[in-house]
Amino acid sequence: MNILQTKSLKKIYGTGETAVHALDGVDFTVEKGEFVAIVGMSGSGKSTLLHMLGGLDRPTEGSVTVDGKNIFSLKDEELTVFRRRKIGFVFQNYNLVPVLNVYENVVLPIQLDGNVPDDTYINNIIATLGLESKLQSLPNNLSGGQQQRVAIARALASKPAIILADEPTGNLDSKTSQDVLSLLKVTSQKFSQTIVMITHNEEIAQLADRIIRIEDGKIVGGDKA
Amino acid sequence: MNEFNILILAIAMLSVAFAVFTTMRSRINEKRVLDHLDAMLTAAMDGTFDETIFDESLLSSVETKFAHYLSASSVSARNLAEEKKKIKELIADISHQTKTPLSNILLYAQLLGEQDLPQESLPCVTALNTQAEKLSFLIGSLVKTSRLETGVIELHPKQSAVQPMLDTVLAQVAPKAGEKQLHLACNNATAADACFDTKWTAEAIYNILDNAVKYTPCGGTIQIATTVYSLFCRIDIKDTGIGIPEEEQAKVFARFYRSPAVSESEGVGIGLYLARQIIADEGGYIKVNSKVGGGTCFSVFLPIAR
Repeated sequence: MNILQTKSLKKIYGTGETAVHALDGVDFTVEKGEFVAIVGMSGSGKSTLLHMLGGLDRPTEGSVTVDGKNIFSLKDEELTVFRRRKIGFVFQNYNLVPVLNVYENVVLPIQLDGNVPDDTYINNIIATLGLESKLQSLPNNLSGGQQQRVAIARALASKPAIILADEPTGNLDSKTSQDVLSLLKVTSQKFSQTIVMITHNEEIAQLADRIIRIEDGKIVGGDKA
Repeated sequence: MNEFNILILAIAMLSVAFAVFTTMRSRINEKRVLDHLDAMLTAAMDGTFDETIFDESLLSSVETKFAHYLSASSVSARNLAEEKKKIKELIADISHQTKTPLSNILLYAQLLGEQDLPQESLPCVTALNTQAEKLSFLIGSLVKTSRLETGVIELHPKQSAVQPMLDTVLAQVAPKAGEKQLHLACNNATAADACFDTKWTAEAIYNILDNAVKYTPCGGTIQIATTVYSLFCRIDIKDTGIGIPEEEQAKVFARFYRSPAVSESEGVGIGLYLARQIIADEGGYIKVNSKVGGGTCFSVFLPIAR
């Protein structure tokens, strides 16, 4: 089952002679439960692509379908709600809310939706990510690796259709990176979560089930399901 | 006239008040119904849905239909699961039942080889032996896989030292590696502990090492290195073999997958599948790093604590 599909996705910045084709017709699909890495040098268009996939920016042409819904057919307010329910984000700089403790950060997307957190599930995630002893801590008192683990827990908590990770270990040293990536891999296996991860690092990308390479806004191989 | 005006005004005000009252009431009602539906769905997702209203209302009839629907879909899900389980058990049975006749075939073929046979019969006996051994290996792997899948074998991961387990596996593959004059080395003995099932993890590592031996040309090198992170212990098994093309790197873990490049050499394509299954069950994972012609490195990640 396809959980994510892009069709001739294009993003052009500027017009006329100065037009920059950040994305130049990108087509690929991601199956449910897959762990896909999108690899490219800086300037290859991979961040633009991730922004399109997450509905953070609108494409010039083409469509992105998440869980059977073309996300750009939605109005801005609808898109906000759709994103909160269907897409989990893990960013390079963690983006945790500094005044909330670890538990509050993890359940925030659920509470924003007006729902009561499923505590068995949340506790399971927290145990898998080894955060039991940190539940009451504020993000500032945690190491970078721990903060990123909280961000992963938050992304998993709302059981999204897909998790988008943008250079999840960009701010971490290589030893901590390995731990965070291992946890990302193990949790994706355990909770059958679909993950699309963007990175410029080949070594990190090898963790994925499949690697999609992007160069000058085009896919240059790897998209064989 | 004045009184009439007041009367009209009073009636108008009353009507407005009535309209406001009815709207409010219907809003409250609507919210109550939606809240009730929301609660129904939440209960259904948790599998705790029960009918609560039994009256002539539409909501009660919706509840009843919903309960019907839920029980029907749970029945079909259960049937599917049961059928799947039966098939798995059948596979387990067949593979188990074939084990005894197969070891008999192996035994008698060997006995036959020891007798004085005419010269032209010898190649037949040799072929018989090789094929029987191949079949026995396949059945053995199948039995292990199906038992692992059906949950007949349960993994019991516990805190143990990594190095002794690695040493056992190294001793197991050493003869095969010796035959091909491969240099088999464990770079850094580790004192690390990790959480794993010794017997089955050894099986997984053995399968990876066995592949390394099989696909590394004579005179090559196989290195094992351990790195300890704060949450995971990583075991690298690096060879100087033929390598795996990138598009096949995920597929090599699939059941019965055989790379077209090695289709002539022996194997059934179950070793890595089994290895990944075992390691994933223990809360770890395997990743592969390889270049065609540049060797392959399998990295096994075991969780350090549970």
